[in-house]
Amino acid sequence: MSPTAARLAIIVAMLAAWEAGVRWFGNPLFVSPPSRVAVALLDLAGNRDVLAAVARTCLEISIAFALSTILGVGLGLLVGLHRFTRGAMYPVILLLYAVPQVTMLPLFVLVFGIGMVSKIAFGVSHGVFPILMTVAAGVQNIEPILVTSARAMGASRRQILLAVVFPHALSSFFTGMRLGMTAVLLGVLLAELYVSQAGVGYFTTMFTQTFQPQNLFALVAVLAAIAIMLNALCRWAELRFRANV
Amino acid sequence: MKRLVQIGFVVLLALLWQLATLGHVSPLLLPPPAAVGREFLVLLQTANFWPDLRVTLFELIAAFLIAAFTGSAIGSAVSRSSYAVRVFDPLFAGMYSIPAILLFPLYVLFFGLGPGSKIAMGATIAFFPVVLNTITGLSQVDRAYVAAARSMGASPIQMFWSVMLPAAFPVILAGLRIGLISGFLAILGGETIASFSGLGHRIVNLAESMDTARMFANIVFVMLVAWVLNAAVSFAEARGRRGIA
Amino acid sequence: MLDARDADASHRKIPAGRWALMIQVDGVGQVYGEEGDPRRIVALENASLEVARGELVCLIGPSGCGKSTLLHLIGGLAAPSSGEIRIDGERVQRPLPQKIAYVFQENALFPWRTVLENVKLGMEFQGVPKAEHENRARESLDAVGLSEFAGHYPRQLSGGMKQRAQLARAFALRTEILLMDEPFAALDEQTRLLLGEDLSVLLARTGKTIVFVTHSLVEAVFLADRVAAFTARPGRIKQIIAVEEGHPRSRIFMTSSKLAGLRNELYELLHDEIYKTMNEAGIAR
Repeated sequence: MSPTAARLAIIVAMLAAWEAGVRWFGNPLFVSPPSRVAVALLDLAGNRDVLAAVARTCLEISIAFALSTILGVGLGLLVGLHRFTRGAMYPVILLLYAVPQVTMLPLFVLVFGIGMVSKIAFGVSHGVFPILMTVAAGVQNIEPILVTSARAMGASRRQILLAVVFPHALSSFFTGMRLGMTAVLLGVLLAELYVSQAGVGYFTTMFTQTFQPQNLFALVAVLAAIAIMLNALCRWAELRFRANV
Repeated sequence: MKRLVQIGFVVLLALLWQLATLGHVSPLLLPPPAAVGREFLVLLQTANFWPDLRVTLFELIAAFLIAAFTGSAIGSAVSRSSYAVRVFDPLFAGMYSIPAILLFPLYVLFFGLGPGSKIAMGATIAFFPVVLNTITGLSQVDRAYVAAARSMGASPIQMFWSVMLPAAFPVILAGLRIGLISGFLAILGGETIASFSGLGHRIVNLAESMDTARMFANIVFVMLVAWVLNAAVSFAEARGRRGIA
Repeated sequence: MLDARDADASHRKIPAGRWALMIQVDGVGQVYGEEGDPRRIVALENASLEVARGELVCLIGPSGCGKSTLLHLIGGLAAPSSGEIRIDGERVQRPLPQKIAYVFQENALFPWRTVLENVKLGMEFQGVPKAEHENRARESLDAVGLSEFAGHYPRQLSGGMKQRAQLARAFALRTEILLMDEPFAALDEQTRLLLGEDLSVLLARTGKTIVFVTHSLVEAVFLADRVAAFTARPGRIKQIIAVEEGHPRSRIFMTSSKLAGLRNELYELLHDEIYKTMNEAGIAR
C-alpha cells in the first residue's frame, strides 16, 4: 500500500473507532460521533449567524496575512540587506519575538475592541515575525560563490540584487509566507476564541455551555478545514516556486 | 556603535511610550512606564503571583511529561521502519500545521475550566515537535555508524542504546525544547481564553478590571518566567549535547 | 631569483619575437589581519609572474599556499596588500569582466536558471545586445558539447557537465583571459582527465590566455605551457617549470615518459612543501 493510501486508511480507521467508541461508551452531552457531527455541519450551514462569524474570521485571516506579508517582506529586506539596520534592529526584533505574545491578547482586545481590528492586529503580531526572519535569512545566506561569480562577470550592485539575491531569496520568501500563514491562523483564532461576546468565540462558548457537542465539533471541523486548506495552498506555492532551486 | 543604536532604539520606544501617556492616549489603555515599574516591584515584593505561578507550572510539567513520553515512544516506534516513517511523518507534520488551539473549546467541554483542559492543550501542542524530531533524529542516523556497529556485532538493543540514541540525541533534545516552550505558550493561551487560575487568567482578570498598570507588570513578569524557562532549557540542551559529544 | 623574468629566458616556449605580455604580476603579497595580530596570515609573499598572450600557466602547491589568492588578485576580485598586477599594461583595481572570465571550483551556476540562461547571464550583466545572446550562448554550449542540455537545470547535470557549463558561460563572454580556480577538483579522476583533454583541444583553438589553479600534478603538466610551483605558507613561487609540448595535447602525451618525468620533477619540488603544510596542520608527526 502506498504511504498516502495508508495515511488515508489510518484517518478512516480513526473516524470509525471514534464513531464506534462514542456510540457504545460516550456521553452524548460531551462527545458526538462523526455521523452526528456531519449532520450538525448541515445545520450550521443553514445558520446565518454562524456562517457570518466564519466568513468574518476568513476575512480577518486574509487581511492579517496580507499585512504580515507586506510588513514582513519589507522589514526582512531592510534587515537582511543593510548591515546597519541589521545591527540596529535585529536584536530588538529577536527580543520582541521572544515575548510570549499570547499574554498581550487581553491588551490587544482592550486597545482595539472586540471587533475585527483586534483580531487582525493580533494575527499580524504573530505573522510578521516568521516572514521577516525567513526573508532576512534568505537574502543573507546566499552562497558567496554565486555573488563572487556574478561580480567576476561584471554585475553591478543592482544587477547582483535583481539577478542573484532576489531569485535566491524567492524560495525563502515563500517559506516565510507558509510559516507566516500558520502563525496568522494561530493569532486570529486565539483572538477569536478569546472574545466570547461575538464571532466564533461566542458560538464555541455557547455550544459548550449549552452542551451541544455536535455543533461545537462541527464548527471546529469547519475552521480546521479552512486552516488545512490555507496551509496546503501556501505549501503548494512554496513547492512550486522552489522547484528550480 | 551597534550597541548604541540598539540602546537608542529601546530608549526611543520608552520615550515614545512615556510621551504617549502624557498626551492623548488614555492611561487606562497605556499606563506610563513608571507606573508599570512601580507595580512590577510591588508584584515582586508581595509575591502574590505564587498561587497562579504554581498552577501554570504544574500544568506545564504535567503536559510536558505526557508529551515527552508519548512523543518519544511513538516516534521511536515509527522510526523502526522506513515505511512507517513515510506514512506517519507527513501525517504528524500535517496535523502539526493545523492550529491546535482549535481543540481548546473541546478540551474545555471534556475537562472543564480547571487545569485539565490546559494540560491537554499543552500536551497536544508539545507532542508534535517531540514526535517529529524523534522520527527525524532516529531515521537520519548516519548509515555508516549502523554498518560499523553491526560489523562489530551489536545486538538490536545495543544498537539502539549505544548508536541510534546518542546519534539522534541532539535532534530529539531540540524537539523537547521546542515542545516545552510551545507547550508553555499553549497553556498560557488556554488560561487566557477560559480559566479560573494561572498566570494567563491573572492577566485577563486585570485587563477586564481595567487595572492596566498591574496588567503590564504581570505581562512583564510572564516574560521573565518565559525567559528563565528558555534560558534553563537552552542550558540543559547545551549540557545534554556536550554529554553526548 | 624566483622572478619569472629571470626564469623565462630558459623556459619560455614562445619564440622571442612573438612574446607579448598579457598578465604581469609584480612583487605581489597578500596579508590578512593587522601587524601583531596572532591570527595574522601571510597568504602570499612577493610573487612575480609574467604570462604571455595565449599562454596557459598552471599554479600548483600545497593547500593554503596562496595560489587561489593570486588568481583572485589577478581577476581583480580582491586588492593586493603589496605589489601590483597589470593586464595588458593596465593596472588591475577591480574586476575586468570585458577582459577576464572566471571558472570556479564550486558550482557557481545559478540553480534557478537553465544552462542556457546561465550562459546568457554574464552577457546580460555586461549589457551585450540582446540579439546576440542566443547565438553566442548556443555557440559556446556547442564548443563544450552541451547543446543538448541547454534547457536543463544545473541540478539535472553531472559534476563534469556542470563544469562544462561554467566553461561555456566563460567562453560566451569572449574574453582574452580565462582564470580557472581548480575547476575540476570536485570531479573523479577519469572525468577530470577527459575534461582536461577536451580543454586542451578547445584552448588550442581559441588561443586564450589562461591561468589555471590545480592540485593535480598530472593535470598541471598535461595542460600547462609553464607550471608555477608554490611553497608552503607564506606562499611564494618556488620554481617555474616549462612543458615544451604543443597544443592540442592528446592521450599520447598523457601516457608519455616526458609527462611522467616532468610530473616526478614537480613532485620532488612540492614534496617538502606539502609535508610542511601537513606538519603545521598537525596531520603528520
